[in-house]
Amino acid sequence: MDSSLAAEQQRILASNWGGGKSPFGTSWSKFMMWIFIISDALTFMAFLVAYGFMRSISPMWPKQTEVFNMVLITFMTFVLISSSAVMAMAVGAARAANPKLAFRFLVLTIVGGFIFLGCQAFEWSHLIEEGARLTHNPWGVPQFAASFFVITGFHGFHVFSGVTILAIVAIRAALGKYSADQIENAGLYWHFVDVVWVFVFAFYYLL
Amino acid sequence: MTWVWLLVLTAAALGLGYAPINEKLKAFLLVCTTLAKILVIAAIFMHLRYERLNLILLTFVPLVLAIILFSFTFPETVGTVTHVLNVR
Repeated sequence: MDSSLAAEQQRILASNWGGGKSPFGTSWSKFMMWIFIISDALTFMAFLVAYGFMRSISPMWPKQTEVFNMVLITFMTFVLISSSAVMAMAVGAARAANPKLAFRFLVLTIVGGFIFLGCQAFEWSHLIEEGARLTHNPWGVPQFAASFFVITGFHGFHVFSGVTILAIVAIRAALGKYSADQIENAGLYWHFVDVVWVFVFAFYYLL
Repeated sequence: MTWVWLLVLTAAALGLGYAPINEKLKAFLLVCTTLAKILVIAAIFMHLRYERLNLILLTFVPLVLAIILFSFTFPETVGTVTHVLNVR
């Protein structure tokens, strides 16, 4: 009886949730970044489902190909995906203990982020010039511009904060205070921003 | 290599966006390509495929919740029709 209890105790202590180690098998910083990403994903999920609902009950909806410059939007998608790929290379370089190479890849990622933000700002100015506002727009469906500005605004803000985080991490890498964990966690955030754009691109611009 | 696949999927999604097919089929196929893209990004770029299973399952929670939320709200839209406005 006693030995089976002891065996049971041993089994529990050795398992994932037995204590003394991370049940999710990862460092606390990476895990916290994942928790944050999951919560942020829920925010964007709420926006996109609300947009889907508004659009489904709306009797009319403008044709995106006639409002937006789809070439520019596709270019933006390409830039963000490429910057994600470069970020993955930066994380690889950091893990291989090559901070100089990691720094260069980080700079390229930041440049990609800025290009994206510039294009998004251009899109916004083009729409605002045509008379689009949060409450009304020239295409007859107020929800159209409202959902555009809120969704792309929140996403653009995430890109901007991602660029800020990457800049801090890059400067630290250049100063030699780099840590592969930090670069990896910043990379996780950047990939999340890319994932959100994949959803926005598909559901707002293409559908 | 992953990057090439992502570009292929993006091109596929773009093609779908312009394809003259039924709206429901278009929506379904776009959801499929989007899911493929995010699975690739999450598994390879975010290293999720090397993580422990409980962390992987944790990251699927928003997707499950999204499906639930969508399944609650979408039936409320039945009975209305969306017309596409030709702007210019």
